[in-house]
Amino acid sequence: MSDYKIILFCCNWGPHAAFLNLQDRREEIPNEIKMVRIPCSGRITKALLFKAFEMGADGVILLGCESGSCRYGSGTATAMKNTTETREILALLGLGERRLRLENFLPHQSDELLAFLKGFVAGIKEIGKSPIFATGSLWEDRKEPETPEEIIAAHDVYSCQDCGKCTSACPLALAGKPFSPRAVANDIIAGRADTKEVIASVNACLTCGVCYERCPSAVNFPEFIKDMRAYYRRRNMTTEPAHGGFFQSMMRAMTSEGLKPDRWKNLPENIKINKNSKILFFGGCAPYFDVFFRVYLKINTSSILEDSIKLLNFFDIEPNVLEKERCCGHDLLWSGDRDNFIKLARLNLKAIEESGAEEVITACPECYHTLLNEYKHYGIELPVKITHIHEFLDKEVEKGAVGFKPLETRVSFQDSCRQSRFNNLADLPRKLIEKFAQGNIDESSARSLTNCCGNSAWTGCDSFSKAMQVQRLKQARNSGSGILITACPKCQIHLRCAMEDALRGDELKMEMMDLTTAIAKTIYWE
Amino acid sequence: MQKKIIITGFGGQGVIMAGRIVGMAAALGDKLESSLVQSYGPESRGGACSVQVTIADRQIYYPYINVPDILVCMSQGGYDKYKDILTGDTILMIDQDLVRVSADHDFYAIPSTRFAEEMGLKMMANIIMIGFLAGITEAVSLDSAKDTVSKSVPSKTIEINLKAFDRGWEFAQATLKSRRKKASGNTGVV
Repeated sequence: MSDYKIILFCCNWGPHAAFLNLQDRREEIPNEIKMVRIPCSGRITKALLFKAFEMGADGVILLGCESGSCRYGSGTATAMKNTTETREILALLGLGERRLRLENFLPHQSDELLAFLKGFVAGIKEIGKSPIFATGSLWEDRKEPETPEEIIAAHDVYSCQDCGKCTSACPLALAGKPFSPRAVANDIIAGRADTKEVIASVNACLTCGVCYERCPSAVNFPEFIKDMRAYYRRRNMTTEPAHGGFFQSMMRAMTSEGLKPDRWKNLPENIKINKNSKILFFGGCAPYFDVFFRVYLKINTSSILEDSIKLLNFFDIEPNVLEKERCCGHDLLWSGDRDNFIKLARLNLKAIEESGAEEVITACPECYHTLLNEYKHYGIELPVKITHIHEFLDKEVEKGAVGFKPLETRVSFQDSCRQSRFNNLADLPRKLIEKFAQGNIDESSARSLTNCCGNSAWTGCDSFSKAMQVQRLKQARNSGSGILITACPKCQIHLRCAMEDALRGDELKMEMMDLTTAIAKTIYWE
Repeated sequence: MQKKIIITGFGGQGVIMAGRIVGMAAALGDKLESSLVQSYGPESRGGACSVQVTIADRQIYYPYINVPDILVCMSQGGYDKYKDILTGDTILMIDQDLVRVSADHDFYAIPSTRFAEEMGLKMMANIIMIGFLAGITEAVSLDSAKDTVSKSVPSKTIEINLKAFDRGWEFAQATLKSRRKKASGNTGVV
């Protein structure tokens, strides 16, 4: 018997009747197929479709009812959309679109169904086994604190003075959520780490770092939360991440060495890449985001990467890119999956070493923070200099001979927590914005760090996240700004999501642009 | 090969020192011949100051310069005095905040004094200008210019002076790059 694994999600209605018929007739259904009966093909989200691949499936079939015969009306259309988008992401990941198929069958079409199944299995065998191995755990050389007591001690949470400055500044608390960093710290110290409320709070934390900024005892609350999440995950007590855990699944899939992502395939031709360059551009996950969020948000975060490389080209640098670039692992680490984060980090270390690069430039604040600090923290030493694109731009602009066209509108800025707070690089984007804003910047974002965009690491999105986003957008609009400049693709996604609120109409809509794009639009040689 | 360089400015800007560094770099570092003449004209009574440096790969028979190949102006007065004898081949370099070019002549501009102020030491404008001169004209090589700078300044200030030199050098590279981009017709992000 072959060891191919093919998951068949089979709608309860049309196709399942056809499938039953095959079983009644004792037809030879290929052994590789494992059937999972589902209520409707429309209920299988992108996250569920992908989960099968993460767990090592070589192919996935979704069977539904013919368009127009769906018992619930919209199931077929939803399944079409989910399958199309997941297939696109499979192509970006280098798994290949052919591993996922959506087909519709009516009850009497058993023969057609059988032929299709046999054909699909043969097709999968032609492509070969999936390069993804079911992701497991990694128990070697562990030095990290494991129990709540150890975690508390490692971050010296005992030094909390119970002053409450954290809670009074916490954006979640300010949005009205019954959430308090101080209370979380106290509860865990008091041995209540395993209660439902504390688990929920640890999951809800935005890890934006405002509390750490305010804490007179310098308790690094985000780091504390990061370790607590790892503790919960190991004990299988984590809460489900946002978006069905799709992104975490995808990142876990990327820990398989055989997977060869093809994520640069849509790069425009006029962008110059040089395979022998000592400078490597690390893109990040933007292309995947764009497919996943396309229908609702129409975002284009890939343009951040394109504009960054164009800016490097503008300064006569033709960078290399990792052909099979993987995720840096930020979201896995921050949602508690340290094991798979470390696996990813090791693969990235190997790929970066093999590229011969001496410097890695990235435009993603999460990649920057992760490659610069987290890898080192977990014992993975990258043999390269890590540079944020803003640092590079600042250095080049300072050399002179370039000018900026003014943007002709007032500008607001949205800080990225990983860049501005974690790495103290808040002045850098403001300095760059000043070049094209020329004084016309909204006062509140010029003066101090702006509030969180509402989420991080795809965890804990709720109505309070939404409230924060609404508040932030209102603030930006009320300042008279015509454009909100961002520094992180996720800030764009989260804020755009809030803008899409149908009940509020155009009340929150405003133009958003990443800083690199704004610079690419305005910079010129003088 | 012979390059005739005149550097002009106010007394106190370090014009003579700049000339000395350029000449020494050429002679000691690049193993060429060089000569230097400080201005002894009436302008040295009026605050103006200039230095004439000749660099050649053969013996220099006459150290005075009538028509310069390279003219560096760090003050308006210096420019005004020489502007009429400039030929089309002369490379004109100015401190853009101190000199206004009135004739129809191509020139390279750098805010050297402003840069020096930003770096916290106004008197380094001359070193920035040497970096710019070396970058634009290649009259002296990068290594020997830096080497001579570090040997000519007080030992405590070597590091910051080398930084100042780099500032000028990098500005020169950026300026040249900008000219190349303009020539190719692409000044924005493609």
